[in-house]
Amino acid sequence: MIDSFPFDEWNLEEISAFWTFGPGGSTGTYVMTVLGIVLMVGSIIGWVWLENKKLSAQAALLRAAGGMPAPGGVPPGPGPSQPPLAGPSTHPGE
Amino acid sequence: MASLLAQAPAVEDQLSLDSAILAEQFYFWTVVVMWLIHVGFMAYEGGASRRKNVMSTAMKNILTIAVVTPSFYYFGWYIYGCFQHGGPAEGHAGPAEFEGFCGATAPWSDAMGPNLQDHISAVFFLAFLLFSWTTGSIMSGAVIERIRLSAYLILTTLLGSAVWIMDAAWGWSSGGWLVTNYGFHDAIASLVVHGVAGAFAFGVLLNLGPRIGKYDREGRARTFRGHNTHLTLMGLLLIFTGFYGFYAACLVIQSTIQPGWLNIYLSPTTLGAIAFVITMGWAGGFTGGWFASKGDPFWTLSGGLAGVISVSAGADVYHPSLAYILAASGGMVAVWSGLWIERKLRVDDAVGAVAVHGVCGFYGVFLVGIFAGGFPTGINNVESSFGGQLMGMLAFFPLAFLPGFIVSWLLKKANLLRVPPEVELEGLDMAEFQADFFPEFERVPETIVLPTGEEVESAPVLLEAFADANGHRPGVAVGEERRLR
Repeated sequence: MIDSFPFDEWNLEEISAFWTFGPGGSTGTYVMTVLGIVLMVGSIIGWVWLENKKLSAQAALLRAAGGMPAPGGVPPGPGPSQPPLAGPSTHPGE
Repeated sequence: MASLLAQAPAVEDQLSLDSAILAEQFYFWTVVVMWLIHVGFMAYEGGASRRKNVMSTAMKNILTIAVVTPSFYYFGWYIYGCFQHGGPAEGHAGPAEFEGFCGATAPWSDAMGPNLQDHISAVFFLAFLLFSWTTGSIMSGAVIERIRLSAYLILTTLLGSAVWIMDAAWGWSSGGWLVTNYGFHDAIASLVVHGVAGAFAFGVLLNLGPRIGKYDREGRARTFRGHNTHLTLMGLLLIFTGFYGFYAACLVIQSTIQPGWLNIYLSPTTLGAIAFVITMGWAGGFTGGWFASKGDPFWTLSGGLAGVISVSAGADVYHPSLAYILAASGGMVAVWSGLWIERKLRVDDAVGAVAVHGVCGFYGVFLVGIFAGGFPTGINNVESSFGGQLMGMLAFFPLAFLPGFIVSWLLKKANLLRVPPEVELEGLDMAEFQADFFPEFERVPETIVLPTGEEVESAPVLLEAFADANGHRPGVAVGEERRLR
């Protein structure tokens, strides 16, 4: 039987206690729980904030462009573009 | 003889450990197989979305895991363990105050971390966590192409870590009040997972509204062309594969505690019995879906899913032939109800999730009342009955629908539910990721199918729909629009 782990010095409760920053219901597990919940709630708030920023910026860009590419058409940015299908005409005389 | 008797306690300990480890392995592998459900949902929804929304759609499925996993760990599992009587028990100060399962569900308990003396709690939790992801993914498909990612994440957290697990505590545990009082029977979660997620999604869709251009001025439905139907069908087949893990994880096995396999209510069944039902269920569902939709590929495969959901509630007791017949009816119900929801209710459910999961989830529980009444359910061994099934349906519809409707209404009021219309028209991927995710492929004009069946270029249709909804064309101020007209 492979018995390299010092079971004579560590019983099962002690192993669990070490792995979990303290046995169940201890200060260590409470602290870890609170920290985890803070990360979870903070990340959800962060998602809302960051996405709102991205969407607002893109919507403002599209409104300011005086039109927008055809839905499903070539997106703005590097590469060939296509004329807007909507918005005030930019051609003189029209 | 004395020496043999002296060895008996050691042998008993070894058997007990082996039994626990076998159960641990069983649940672990069901979790691995159930991952395929989420791979499948991502492929399914990604294929059903237009090219401009592919990554936004996939990201919802991926981040479902990022939000439901911690929220289920911190709150959801506790709800399942401690709310089986409806609300927390009288005098309840915290899960640590309770003996037994409730006491093991708090995130700081011994059972919720590494514990060499507990081989079951962690994997049992994980199996339920995968069910939670599934509820989120069911809603995910219905809302694609216009919901904000962050709004979806809030809603899926609520659904995956509070709503569905509350109904599971009430009606999908041996000690739930619906089970012990009314014999409610939903063995493989027709209603508690699928029906509830569908009802929640329905509440969200009412506030979210249809995609721009979905309905014409007369209210007739147009059809968007998903960018890759092959991917959608492959996704569905992956979901089907994962369902075998889902089905298996709904059973209980630990031979030193109970002989043989048990359903979630601790009534006896076998793995073979549910495998019969799920497999015959696919056959019946595909058949029903094919005929009801006159051979439409999407609805044929969705019919398979609907068929299985329709027979899941009684999968521990149904004869395979009965499962085949009932699943065929479920496949038909999904198609008819899906078209009714789209065309009569004018609710834009992008993948038919409300019909397939919601309607067929409730239908499955209804069928148990007819075809499996009299079977003892739960620790009180109350017989299942049509009345008991009806009680479960009446309890779970508001439990699911109201939170979805109310929270999505609040998000809508805060202008955080839906992307700006200009962004929706352009495609969500540009706003969210500033990229097109098929850079090597030339763009072709996006198309849309009119109510007449004619397929046309979508740009003029969508721009007109945008103008109708917003009072001006994209990029044109309202005053300027009046001047131009």
